[in-house]
This record gives sequence, C-alpha cells and structure tokens, in this order.
Amino acid sequence: MIEFLNLRKEYDDVLAVDDLTLTIPQGEIFGLIGPNGAGKTTTIRMAAGLLGPTQGRAVIAGIDVAQKPEQAQQYIGYLSDFFAVYEDLKVWEYLDYFAHAYKLPEAEIPGRITEVVAQVNLEVKRDAMIRGLSRGMKQRLGIARAIIHQPKVMLLDEPASGLDPKARLELRNLLLSLRNRGATILISSHILTELEGFCTSIGIMEKGRMVRSGSIEEVTAAAASARLVRLTWTGDSLAAAEEKLRSDARVSEIKLAAGAGTFRFGGGEEDLAPILAGLISAGVQVTFFGEMKQTVEELYMKLSSHEVM
Amino acid sequence: MPRFWNNPEFVRHRRAELRPVRAITVGVVVLLMCLLIGLACWSYEQNLLANAQRGAETFATDAWRRRAEFLEGHLARNTWLLLYRWLVGLQGIALTFWALFSCAQSVSGERDHKTWDFQRTTRLTATETLIGKLLGEPILIYFAVLCASPVTFIAGLAGGLSFGAVISVFVFFVVLSMFLGLGGMWLSTLLESRTRGVGLIGALALYGFTLAIYGMHDSGLPGLAAMSPLTGIVDLLGFSPDSRLGMALPPLFSRQIPWLLMSVLLCCSFSAWLALMLVRNLKRDYPEIRPLSRWQAVSCAAFLNFLIYALLSPVYQLSIEGKVGWFPDAKSVAVFAVGMNGLILFLMGLATLTPQERLKVWRRRRVTGESNIFADDGLPWPWLGLSAIVAYALMIWGLLAWDHTFPLEMSTLQTSAIRLLLVLVFVTRDVLFLQWCMLTRLRQPIVKGALFLGLYYGAAAVLTGLAAVSSEHGAHTMLALLTPVQVFDPDVHGIAFPAATYVGLALQAGAIGAVLLAITNRLQRPLQRGAAA
Repeated sequence: MIEFLNLRKEYDDVLAVDDLTLTIPQGEIFGLIGPNGAGKTTTIRMAAGLLGPTQGRAVIAGIDVAQKPEQAQQYIGYLSDFFAVYEDLKVWEYLDYFAHAYKLPEAEIPGRITEVVAQVNLEVKRDAMIRGLSRGMKQRLGIARAIIHQPKVMLLDEPASGLDPKARLELRNLLLSLRNRGATILISSHILTELEGFCTSIGIMEKGRMVRSGSIEEVTAAAASARLVRLTWTGDSLAAAEEKLRSDARVSEIKLAAGAGTFRFGGGEEDLAPILAGLISAGVQVTFFGEMKQTVEELYMKLSSHEVM
Repeated sequence: MPRFWNNPEFVRHRRAELRPVRAITVGVVVLLMCLLIGLACWSYEQNLLANAQRGAETFATDAWRRRAEFLEGHLARNTWLLLYRWLVGLQGIALTFWALFSCAQSVSGERDHKTWDFQRTTRLTATETLIGKLLGEPILIYFAVLCASPVTFIAGLAGGLSFGAVISVFVFFVVLSMFLGLGGMWLSTLLESRTRGVGLIGALALYGFTLAIYGMHDSGLPGLAAMSPLTGIVDLLGFSPDSRLGMALPPLFSRQIPWLLMSVLLCCSFSAWLALMLVRNLKRDYPEIRPLSRWQAVSCAAFLNFLIYALLSPVYQLSIEGKVGWFPDAKSVAVFAVGMNGLILFLMGLATLTPQERLKVWRRRRVTGESNIFADDGLPWPWLGLSAIVAYALMIWGLLAWDHTFPLEMSTLQTSAIRLLLVLVFVTRDVLFLQWCMLTRLRQPIVKGALFLGLYYGAAAVLTGLAAVSSEHGAHTMLALLTPVQVFDPDVHGIAFPAATYVGLALQAGAIGAVLLAITNRLQRPLQRGAAA
C-alpha cells in the first residue's frame, strides 16, 4: 500500500533521505522512529506529496505521488504535529470544506460529517465557531479533517506530540479502528512507548538511512545477540542454580543474586524448556522463568548507540 | 472558472467573510454611502445652479442666462452623472486596492497559519485553488461593489450614458481586479510566512507602480498606461480627450483603439502569464518554486518584445526645433528596445533560476552524459542567449514593420546586435551571480544577491566619477569596462564601438567564466548526512 523506491531527498548541502526502499503492506501500522534530523518528517512529507523527491518514487496505493499528486491524495490522510485550523469557520463548515476539497460525492458529505464529528466526540460543537473551541477540541477537529475522506493510508508525523493524554488515547483508538477497517498507517514518533504494542512493524532511521525495519519481533530478535532470561527461586539454591547454568555452553552473562537473576541464552525458544527442567532437577525451587523481551525504546537506544549496527 | 460558486476554496471564503449579519451591514453601509454621495452631488449641482441664477439676475447677460437655463434643464442629468463618476471612481480604487492586498496575503497568510500544507494535501488542483482564492479572498469588496452596482447603473443611465458604457465599467473592474489579484497572489507565493510584512509593503509598492503607470500615456508606449486603474477610471468617467483629464486613444500596431479594449487586452495577456506561473507553482513546496520553464521564459521574452513594437507610438511633431517625439528614427527605437531587453532578460533570468537540489541532480546527470546544457534543470545562461536571439529577430521584424515611418539602415541592425550582445553578457553575469547566491547558505539569497549587484553598480559609478576627475575619456573607459551603459551611446555607427567596449565585453566574459567555476565548485561539495528537518 505504501512503497518507497530508492527515495532520496537533498536539501542544500544535506542528504536528508538516502536511497530509502521500503514496502508497507495494507493493514500495517508502521512506526518510524529516529532522532531529530533522521529524515522521518522528510519521508512522510514526500509520501504526502508535499515535497518532491530528488530521486526515486513514493507510491501510495499504486500511484506515484509526485507524478499524480491529486489522484494519490484521495487515498492519503495527513496529520502533522500541529493542528492549524480555519478559525473563522464553524466546525461543520471546516469539515465540509475538506470533504469537498477531497471531492467526496456531494450526497455522502453530510452523513460523513456527522460520522466523523461523532468519532472525535465533537457532536455538541458541530455548529460552533472554531475560534471558540479549546485547544484539545481543535486537535480533535484536525484529526477529523484527516479522516473525513476515509483514507486508505494515514501519514502521521509526530501526531501525538501536542495532544493531552486523553486525546492521545483517543487518537490511538481511532487509528486502531481505522486499521481494523483496512487502513495502512505510517506514523513517526519520538515517544517510543507510544508505538509499543500499537505498531505492527517499525523502522529505525538515522541520518537519512533506514537502519533496520520489520516487525517488532523481527527487529528485536535481529538486534539481540542472545535471549535475556530472568529467573527467580525460593530457598538457598544459588550455588546449584549457578552450577547448572554454567554446565550449558549456550548460557552466558550469568548474573545471579539471592533468589533472583538473569542470564543470556544463545539457543532457540524451544531450547529453554530443558534448561528449566535441569534447574528443577538440580533442586532449584523455581518460581519464575521467562525471556525478557526488549522494549522498542531499549532497542532504539541500542541501535542509536551503534551497539548493533 | 466554470461553476466557481461551488469551488470549495471560494465557498470557504464566502462562508467565513459573508455571514448574514456582516453581509447585511456591508449592504446597508454601501447603500447609505451611495445615498450620502448622491445628496452631496445634488447639493453641489444646486449650488452651481443657484450661482448661475444669481449671476443671471445680477449681470443680466445672455451668457449667464444661457448657463442658468442649461443647468436648470440638465439639473437631474448632471446630478446623476456626478454621482455616477464618484461611485465609479471610489469603487475602482477600493476594488483594485482590496483585490491586490487580500490576494497578496492569500498564500503567505496560509503559510503563516500553518494551514497551507493541509490544503496542499487535498485533491484540489492548482487551478481550482487559484480560482477559489482569486475570487474568494476579496469577496467582501466584490459584495460591496455588487451592492453599489444597481445605484451605479441607474446613475449612469440617468446621467445620459449608454448601457454599453455603463456595463463596460464593470467589465473593466472585473478584468483589472483579476489582474491585480493574480499579481498579488504571485507576490504572496514568493513569500515565506516570516516575510509576510515585506509582502504587504511589496503589494503597496505594486499598487503604487500600477497607479504610476498612468503617466505612461504620455510616452513612447502609451498603451501601457491601460494597465493602471487610474487610466480606466478616467476613461470610463467619460472625459473627452480635450478636457484636462481626457487622454488620446492609445495605438496598437499604429491603429488607435479604445482604452477599455487596451486594458482588457493587456490585463488578460499579463494575467495569463501570471496564472501560468501560479498554476505551475501553487502546490509546490517553497524551495521548489520556479516561475517558468525554459521554453515558457523564452516565449514570455518574445511576448514582451512583441508588445514593445505593438504598442510603440511613432508619433512625432514638427516644430521649429525640427522633429520632436519619443522616437524620431529607427536608431532610437532600437536603443529603446535593447534597453528594454536588458530588463526583460534579467526578469527571465530570475524566473528560470534553478533550485540547488535540481541543479545538483542536473550536474550529476550531465557528468554521466544523461543531460545537456539546455536541460530544464540546468543553468539559465543558454536560454538567456536564446531569448536574446528571439529578441533580435523580433527587433528586425519590428523595425521593418515601422520602415514606412522610420527608414531602416543596415548599420542600425549591426549596432543593435553588438548592443544586445553587451546587454546579454552583463545580464548573464548578473543572473549567474544570483544563481551562485542560491547555492550558498545565504538567507533570502536573491534579495541579498540583488543588493550585492546594486553595490557593484554603485562602486562602478564611484570609480567612473573618480576617473572623470582626470579625464572624460577615462570615465568613458571605466563605464565601458564595468557597465553596459555603452548601449545608450548614440554616436556609434555599425560595429565601430570604442575599443574599451570590446575589452569590457571580454572582461565580463571572464567574469562569467569565474562565476561558472564557482557554481561548479559549489555543486561538487559533498553532502552531509541528516539534520535536514
């Protein structure tokens, strides 16, 4: 649904995006993470047709955005970190303007406005002037604008940075519901915990290049040299546990203290069961035994500190 | 334009600016103003009549009696005519001023409010956005004029004017406000949000310029005055050419045509160029804006040259001092055309400056043989040369067309060729310098580059002044070396320019080479990764 083919963007003396090739299938929520200046915004702006690429192509729903921008725009909903609205219009007028600008069929527009106004909880403000709305309401109106034409692709550039926690949660739920309807979402964010458990795949950008991309599991698995396993037990079996673990060549970095500890395991997930069985047979009264999954934030910190590049 | 009332951008402006309460207020205020102006006109005419009647009683002469009878007989007609003139004048000034200023804030204002990106991501085409903004931004003043139009119509017809004459007022208003609106919008697209204030000053300057063009009616190109709101208004008010405000009709290919027709022709053709530039660029990101493609720039240069010969007024008078007028012979026309081409080529050069990113891509492709010097993303100099060739061809055509009035000599064509070459070399140097400025990290590189050029010409003037202290010849040499002023030397025949002119030509060719080298060096600089946002 979203395809970047050798996408490149130069500004003055700066290479903002370098030869980016990426395919995001339909229904995916792809999180784009990276530090400031990594090229996330530039990538999203090129996908939205706001910037022309220096080289390469951004293809949305099979349409080259630079070649046929107006045709591609019908599939794109764009949201950025600011929610500027036309203050001198009423809420419904604002949505009506964008519905017409996206060239929705005339007969569908009133119904669609009612629907999105309800989706963003602005029913009571439908006839209110925008200049009288609170900041949070304007933000919700901005979200309504982006989805008025039921886009198949949502491009979100740090959308939550200006939102209060409640609005963030609402945005998250809204995006999940859009995804459930088959929309593909490309989202960039600094707040990595926000992407966790929400994105189906991620891409890490640094200095204009995609350092790593794929499903969160794939990326974390590829980044981790060995699994981190946590273990807790009762009683005085520290020595037995340590001895048993050391007997396996695939185990390393054993850090055990009284009743708890971690170790690295170089084998597969299925190979962990015999390790647990061995510990129990050695008399260790195990109360917890499990792999510690890496968070996106940990992974990102690791990647950006060049530990796994 | 079709179904513009359904254009979302137009509808947005209509909704925002013409809410019922505001619309009613505007309508009432306009009608009240019409009433007050009408009363003032009636009072003025009554005073005139009373004075004439008093004069007739006091002096009891036929002249006073006739005047009093005339004023009494035409009281109503004169009052309506005076009201009509006031209404047309006020509406003309208000409409043109407002159209220009509101459109001059249209795009920069959206950039300022950060709503522009959202508008650019909709399915509105550049043409739809253009029409919506052009008709929507000044909608309040359009509405005010609409409210005043029935009164204007009644006043004009009751004042003895024909229906066609009154309708032509509105045709003129529409054409001129569209032209100025497009000009304002173009100015607005060139401005980043932070330079919005500069844009307003620019719009004010542009409006002042259009008013000042009125003075052109007494020049070698009188038709250009038709682009001034003042010209149209003065003409439409019905003053005869003999009156203080009346003007002789402008020539088009030496045939006199009405001012209104000239206004429509010029405003429509210039509007078409502005619309072309806007449609090309309206949906582009600010750094990617490039007014015209290469071929369009050459065509525009040809159009402007064509206009010179079409609007030329060859009229001269015979007086005791001999022939007087703007163009006594073909040589003076040629010098004028070369001078105008200096300006035209510079403007075309500005319109075709290539953004840094595109120029870098062009250079890479050129190195690999995939592109050439005439490519659209290349340097502008080959196209300036082509524009100059077209200008020269049109000059030959123009001078031959005027051969019956000004006999053309071969030496005039030879001199003009060298003059045009001089102008081309200096303009190419300056345009390439501005192109180099665009490759540097200067903020507002064009403005700063233009200031540097101003400094250069200022320094050249000072050096010439210093040289003039020792000898006149030294001053001439300095001028020939550093500036293209030799173009206007009337004493040159054929290609017999002073040697300093050719030395100056070689010097400037060297300067062009140096700027090209500097540009190449800039383009070869390695790219830094990231940190662009």
